[in-house]
Amino acid sequence: MNLNDPGVSALTPREVAQTLAALEGDPTVVALAQAARTLLPQVAALGAKPLRVACLASYTADPIRTALQLQGLRAGLAIETHFTPFGQSLQALIDPASSLATFKPDVIILAERLKDGCPAIYDAFNSLAPAEANRLADDWLAGIGSALKSYRQRSDARILIQGCEQPGWAAMGIADRTSGHSQAALIMRVNDELTKIAADIGNAHVMDYDSLIAWHGRRQWTDRRLALLARMPIAPARLWALAGFYIRHIRPLAGLTKKVLVLDADNTLWGGVVGDVGIEGIELGPDHPGSAYVAFQRRVLDLYQRGVVLCIASKNEPGIVEDVLARHPNMVLKTAHFANIKANWSPKPDNLRQMSQELNLGLDSFVFLDDSPVECELMRASLPEVTTVQLGEDSSNHAAVVESLDCFEQWTLTEEDRQRGVMYVADAGRRMAAAAAVDMPSFYRSLDMRLSIAVDDAMQTARVAQLTQRTNQFNMHAIRCTDADIRKYQESPDCHVLTARLVDRFGDNGIIGAAVVERSGVDWVSQIFLMSCRVLGRTVEQSFLKWIARFAREAGAARLICLFKPTPKNQPFSGFYRDSGMRLADNGEDVQRWEWDLSRADLDLPIWITIDAAVMPK
Amino acid sequence: MTTMAASNDERFRKTVAAILGMSPTDVTDALTPDDVDTWDSLNHINLMSALEQEFGVLFNAAKLGEVQSVGRLRAALTEHGVAL
Repeated sequence: MNLNDPGVSALTPREVAQTLAALEGDPTVVALAQAARTLLPQVAALGAKPLRVACLASYTADPIRTALQLQGLRAGLAIETHFTPFGQSLQALIDPASSLATFKPDVIILAERLKDGCPAIYDAFNSLAPAEANRLADDWLAGIGSALKSYRQRSDARILIQGCEQPGWAAMGIADRTSGHSQAALIMRVNDELTKIAADIGNAHVMDYDSLIAWHGRRQWTDRRLALLARMPIAPARLWALAGFYIRHIRPLAGLTKKVLVLDADNTLWGGVVGDVGIEGIELGPDHPGSAYVAFQRRVLDLYQRGVVLCIASKNEPGIVEDVLARHPNMVLKTAHFANIKANWSPKPDNLRQMSQELNLGLDSFVFLDDSPVECELMRASLPEVTTVQLGEDSSNHAAVVESLDCFEQWTLTEEDRQRGVMYVADAGRRMAAAAAVDMPSFYRSLDMRLSIAVDDAMQTARVAQLTQRTNQFNMHAIRCTDADIRKYQESPDCHVLTARLVDRFGDNGIIGAAVVERSGVDWVSQIFLMSCRVLGRTVEQSFLKWIARFAREAGAARLICLFKPTPKNQPFSGFYRDSGMRLADNGEDVQRWEWDLSRADLDLPIWITIDAAVMPK
Repeated sequence: MTTMAASNDERFRKTVAAILGMSPTDVTDALTPDDVDTWDSLNHINLMSALEQEFGVLFNAAKLGEVQSVGRLRAALTEHGVAL
């Protein structure tokens, strides 16, 4: 592959994955320019999801364009950008005829710097009386708040607000915090106020820009020459990091948050090869070098507690890895944290394929972490849809690699996220029960399933929105919603938002299903019908659908209409409505319309699921 | 010393070519932004930054804007002790 040849031919997914991995490893200005030339013309052919992103900044922001598009591609997005001229952000938000309004963004990045809006707070702080400094900041905040509110009346776009940065050194020096008039405290207060504005306008989020700068080093973040010469405060060498930071916040919107982290064992979870040195000989403990692996495991545990499903893929004799998990006193991660362990001599891509089937999660939601360049290369070559991350040779950096993973981000964490790990481990027990049962009905009965349906429970808004973002397979109409979208459905007198929670003898599966139905005369139309793939194949999906149909019938509906939008991911379920007894009324190009005549439909519920329901008053 | 200069020249051409999207053999000293349509103000900054990264030098602010030809880029690097 000649990167200098402008007329490059189409790249294979493997080459794309390799190019993007190399770029992430060493994002030089040259590497960015080359990758942009080879990859960006092919974005559409690579199956990336289109997304319109507008950047509004108080400085020259457009140098980030290619980095943003490449970081987008890395996450699976085909990003179309729009940049308003610097310094015109607020006008663009307020003016209903602005080029921003015409662009119709899905996402707005608002990068207004307090440093540009109120230069005195940064450059002349000691000349300002406390009241004056506060007034300047409040006026600036009020301008941003009212522009965003005005824009919100016309658009549901996700708004990402870039928080304010701290100065390199406070104007009062080391006396800043004790001086009674602290520059750092004022800037922190401004960031808190921005968070309130975001909560107020809805579907908005403040990005912790100062932490990003701190992570990369404040001194290297800004190129003072370019800041003065071109109003471009961000050093070209940092644009890749900034673009990645933006994409980190955009991922959840497009259902591109990863779900599974597969870890190698030897020289990843611990130092040394356990098959050679034995369980007593591996490096894992409070002192170096074992402490590096303990630190690494602690960061992985953070991810587990945020809802990331953990697995192990290790080349080892069966049993030996399990033995370390169960017996080694310094393991932070225990057997119970792993939903799936494959320790054998099969190629790791085969093991990941099998995990994907057993967990019912697509390989494109997998992240694979290994110290071996050979294993990483094999994974990228065999399964380019898996995000492969290679750990460096120096184990002291392993923890930092986990910290900087940007693909597990979610805007909010729900109770389901905190419990997910436990739920997946319980799934392993369910698989064994299925293997032991003689026939399906007796397997279903053996599960002791209890389905709790809630109608219009405002407490579940965040979880419903999250399910629409995370569910790719059994997601019939495939629309992605934000909390604000779900709240709108909930507040509408013509809509019901339903959730389904499943408990069985292996544990609580949490809220695993969601639906939105809209009344339209005698018809009830299901806008959303989805279920977590973890619980499919146990007649829960049929039961939920039939319960909704019965609910509609009791409320006087004559028909239930369900919408199905075919996507590459929900194909396996394209026959679900037919199999349930519905009739295809309209085979639209984009969306199919399935109907049920409620006076005649068979709405008997299976006897092996106990269903209870709570309908909240509207 | 001659081989060193040759390899620096190669690196120089490759860097300029990568940013401007051309073949390294087409990189001549006479080229100016008027001759290359990809050499706009943004790519000029990329060009300077890429050369700084490649050769580990730091141009002063005045230089960043004023060197408007491949020949002058080369001269700016030579001033920083890069043998070209």
